[in-house]
Amino acid sequence: MAGLRISPIPKKDKVRLVVNGREVVACRGESVLAALIASGYVKLRIAPGSGEGRGAFCGMGVCYDCLVTINGRPNERACMAQVEDGMEIAIDE
Amino acid sequence: MSKLAYEVAIVGSGLAGIAAACKLAEYGVKVVVMDENIHIGGQFLRRCPTTRKASFTDVMDLMRKKGFKLITLAKEKNVAIMNRTKVLAISDQNELLVEDNEKKISTIRPQIILLATGARERFLPFKGWTLPGVFSTGAIQSLVKSFGVLPSREIFVGGSGPFLFTVAWELLQQRGRVMSIIEQKHLMDSLPPSGLLFFNASRFLQSACQIARIVFARVPVRYATKIVEARGRYRLEQVVTSKVDRLGRAVPGTEKIYSSEALAVGHGFTPNIELAQVAGCEIESDTTKGGWVVRVDQTLETSVENVFAAGEITGIGGAPKSLNEGNIAALSILRRLGKEVEKSVFSRHQKKRERLLCFARYFNSLHMSSDEIIKAIPDETLICRCENVTIKEINMAIQQGHNTLGALRKALRIGMGNCQGRICTPIVRDLIHIHAKATKEEDNEILPASTRIPVKPLAIKSLLD
Repeated sequence: MAGLRISPIPKKDKVRLVVNGREVVACRGESVLAALIASGYVKLRIAPGSGEGRGAFCGMGVCYDCLVTINGRPNERACMAQVEDGMEIAIDE
Repeated sequence: MSKLAYEVAIVGSGLAGIAAACKLAEYGVKVVVMDENIHIGGQFLRRCPTTRKASFTDVMDLMRKKGFKLITLAKEKNVAIMNRTKVLAISDQNELLVEDNEKKISTIRPQIILLATGARERFLPFKGWTLPGVFSTGAIQSLVKSFGVLPSREIFVGGSGPFLFTVAWELLQQRGRVMSIIEQKHLMDSLPPSGLLFFNASRFLQSACQIARIVFARVPVRYATKIVEARGRYRLEQVVTSKVDRLGRAVPGTEKIYSSEALAVGHGFTPNIELAQVAGCEIESDTTKGGWVVRVDQTLETSVENVFAAGEITGIGGAPKSLNEGNIAALSILRRLGKEVEKSVFSRHQKKRERLLCFARYFNSLHMSSDEIIKAIPDETLICRCENVTIKEINMAIQQGHNTLGALRKALRIGMGNCQGRICTPIVRDLIHIHAKATKEEDNEILPASTRIPVKPLAIKSLLD
């Protein structure tokens, strides 16, 4: 299910990310979480232990439920990371 | 590792931190502000990076207007600003261990530290609150305000307190749709005493405007109702609500099921005290201030010399209190540095603070959950999201004598996961408190478990480089 952008991304602010091999368009300056949510990625990881799906919860760097792999670095908080052109993001599917 | 020469280091760039930084810079003090977030301004001052123009909200809200002015001023006054920077530890020599935006570790040794680490949200766990698609109200607010992004056009909002209405109003302003607002409290219990109304007219007027907008948009508002379950296979699909009685217990037969892809939940706020704990500052427990808070004196100095605290960490009170305390802390710090400060300015801010603290007590009362509400949480509900610990396991451990947060940590690993107990401990504290009352044990002050460095997880690689 796709997320929603209130206004389209201005052309000059478009950056491209790769999420699990798929190209995603994001807006310069936004958080990785915002880019993922806008593209419909809500479930971001499988919780160790219970094996259930998890996604962002607190959105302000506290709960660590939005952990993703960014450019090969595991356990990065999507809500605290900023998008960069060409960034590669891996999430649990 | 490098040492930089700053007279004052401020942790947190919200209203309190940024107000203090501006005042200090005005007097020529060399100051650095550090913040973990991408944008400075904290939780209150958020603005969409692409539009950047003043929205209707900014024009309406004087406090926000002031805040954004302060951010501009801080930049003009050459305040050093480090965003996406984690403060990992504070040593007993008041030295800060910092990881900057390039993941480089360094130390900063200022003469004076001001902690303005703000607050996080509190939650009342329910079945399925870990499902993707269930967000905190703050998460939804930051997505919509800072980035203009929503997980779905229609959002269900629930919990307790006036922040639910603020978030709903912001969603409406940004062309989102609010399916319903579910407030656990009864309407009569939410009304302010008339004295407060008089002294805080502008705040209530602002609330009234928000409510008017919500009513105009025909958003159903349901008081005395709580969220009992979030359902879905891989992500949120349904929200189940139930009416509650005056004590907060679910009334059987009043359950309603709604289809929803996004739910925003919140039950007020609690201070981010972890860094203050590591610095050795005394912590006190006061539910009228939002839980555990950093103990400060009249000048906002903590129990540790040359470590000051301002804003939400001394007690939840919202933007005006943070701004006020940022100013007081700056004046106190200026005095400590031997600068001349007018006494009348100081006492004027102090007087204002008294009034703001009165309002804060009322504000925090709007979020308090009765013991009955907490007792009504079903056995299988997860409390610790990181280590997957249920309320039943916690209650059993408490009954077996693990009745402190430290003991529960050892018994159940609760609070030992990635978030280090930041989400679950407020509710675990309540569970310990309820047990102590039931067994008529002496009502000792329940203290938070100790915090160790680094206060936020850190890649070992950063330390090695």
